[in-house]
Amino acid sequence: MSLKAVKTLLEDNAKRTWNPLGVRESSCSEWARGLNLPERGETLLYTGCLYQMVPYIESFSKMLKKLESLGGTIFSVSLKLTIGLRRIGIDLSKILMIGVSKERYHRILRNIATSLRQAGVEFAYLREEPYNGVLYHDLGMDKLFEVQAMRIADKIKASGAKRVITVDPHTTYSLRQLIPEFVDDWNVEVVHYLELLHSKGYRGSPKGGVVAIHDPCYLARWNGILEEPRSLLESMSVEVREPEFTKKFTGCCGGPIESLFPTLASTIAEKRLHELKETGANRVVVMCPICLTNLGREAGKLGMEVLDLAEFLG
Amino acid sequence: MDISDVSKLLVKASRDPVLRTGLDRGISSYWKKRKAVLERYPYVLDLAEEVRRIKEDSVARMEELVNMAVESVERQGGRAYVAKTADEARRIIGEVVGTGKTIVKAKSMTTEELKLREYLIEMGNEVYETDLGEFLIQFLKTKPMHFISPAIHITREKVAEFLREFMKVEVDKDDIEGMVALVRKFLRDKYFRADVGISGANVFSADGGLFLIENESNIRLSISLPEKHIAVVGMEKVVPTMEDAWKVVEVITRFGGYKVTSYVSLVRGPAAENDLGPKEYHVIFLDNGRLNASKDPVLKETLYCLRCGACQYMCPVFGVVGGFWAGLSSAYSGGIGVMWEYITEDEVQASYHAFACLLCGRCKEACPMKIDQPKVLREIRKRLMEKL
Repeated sequence: MSLKAVKTLLEDNAKRTWNPLGVRESSCSEWARGLNLPERGETLLYTGCLYQMVPYIESFSKMLKKLESLGGTIFSVSLKLTIGLRRIGIDLSKILMIGVSKERYHRILRNIATSLRQAGVEFAYLREEPYNGVLYHDLGMDKLFEVQAMRIADKIKASGAKRVITVDPHTTYSLRQLIPEFVDDWNVEVVHYLELLHSKGYRGSPKGGVVAIHDPCYLARWNGILEEPRSLLESMSVEVREPEFTKKFTGCCGGPIESLFPTLASTIAEKRLHELKETGANRVVVMCPICLTNLGREAGKLGMEVLDLAEFLG
Repeated sequence: MDISDVSKLLVKASRDPVLRTGLDRGISSYWKKRKAVLERYPYVLDLAEEVRRIKEDSVARMEELVNMAVESVERQGGRAYVAKTADEARRIIGEVVGTGKTIVKAKSMTTEELKLREYLIEMGNEVYETDLGEFLIQFLKTKPMHFISPAIHITREKVAEFLREFMKVEVDKDDIEGMVALVRKFLRDKYFRADVGISGANVFSADGGLFLIENESNIRLSISLPEKHIAVVGMEKVVPTMEDAWKVVEVITRFGGYKVTSYVSLVRGPAAENDLGPKEYHVIFLDNGRLNASKDPVLKETLYCLRCGACQYMCPVFGVVGGFWAGLSSAYSGGIGVMWEYITEDEVQASYHAFACLLCGRCKEACPMKIDQPKVLREIRKRLMEKL
């Protein structure tokens, strides 16, 4: 695998679609269809497009793993091929998406939006939602991240928002810690939806059952959001079981290195699932699209199921 | 060198069942010990914060403190050297040792960085690692995979198999004490025969104290019985005072998972005229990239590292690949290993290995110095990406 080829692919996709996997901003906001959300307001729900990208990540990761098993040279050739195909009008990310459903991820976002409304929160959305840019930052592609950060900041400011509600830990961290490093006069309050529901005393409808809780690294360690998901689950009469490594010592799902080390990412996910299984619960609850996809992919083998907390809402 | 090379290496490591067994056992034992220690001595968390401030101050004043330390060593009758590079350090040590000598070595990551054992053997000397883990590393020809548990990847089954072959005796894989006794017996006469004892340093106070922490008493023998003691000290190890140094000792010990360490040796200089002990004491302060790193706003955080190994035990990547991460040619392992490798050894190899970090931050949570490894490793990625 060639790092240079990865860099080229990301730059090419960013230039073309403002997204590392070629997902259009207009399709990032598909979840909001029919919810009659305004496009301007003091409070904005901004998703960062991470949940929406999960099905694309899934398809891409399958391709990566296959290519990785074939050897590195083929990988870089195929990346070049991807770009080459596009030059003649064929979009590989669309081909990969044939027959893949985005419904589950749209439902997660709609559940979050509905719960917020039930808690009495009014908010707007962006008709063209920009990607959160985190992959660029993670990979050290700061120039690309800076451009994306400015685009996000511009769109959020243009919506008239003074407060942004986020739905995933990476976007939350980025808006709180990274965007201020790259963008001047960023004075927007950032609140994660779980914090907001918690402060409103929101209680979900009774669901019952037992789950093992998997704290996403960026939620627990980097944003310090620990009690909110637990109390929300308890409000729904869900029994929460803690694995040995939990809260600030939670174990990573492996997802963040999936784009460069897909096989290793799976091994790490499998190990984490074993830790979660030791709680005796076969259901795992996460609050992050990256954890959802990376743990979810390996869960079947262990007879386990991985759900996002937002799937318990609504 | 590219990402595919790193990926192949790490995937291979992650599929090695013996390595995984060793890591699983080591990590689970550490986690239990750590929880017990921090529960019993909760004030250690505050002490760690104080040590972080000591290290920040010391690293900012690295050159000044090393000069003070050099003067202290010379004043107390020892010889002190500052080596700019690994080559220079090896040359100085080679001259002090000579050839045809027997050398007993304490465990020291900084001498691993210098590949000192291999160098001295090639010069025609007999060298023995006296730490049990390092002894296995030496004769099984592998790399130390963890700062304080170098043989974390070698299971007791594997040790038994090796000892059976090496000592030509029957060995029971479940009799750990019996295996330890066998190695101790083998090493016993080496201490008495040795001309030179070589150690590293856990911390060095600028007012002239070399501190060595251990649990096996092999270091005390190695630095007491031979006529010459050579200590290799990374420049980042120097702190202003003995009081500071004791604080460092306590934090290293407790975060390493020990309630109380078995032995701490404090060496001030060569033995006096009528006293027992080495008559020659040589201290080599090793730069090898450290001084430059101390002036780098991001990399300097690496130098606060106490090498307690807490981050390695807690890293999810290390948990499945051990010291393959950072590369087998590197003395160092894991994310922190990539940072040390970047500063002291192969910058290019380290840069590609930096991409295997999850940026999950459990290392930072576990680290007594709260070193932000994700931040440093991301910076290393950035520097490579800019060049591609």
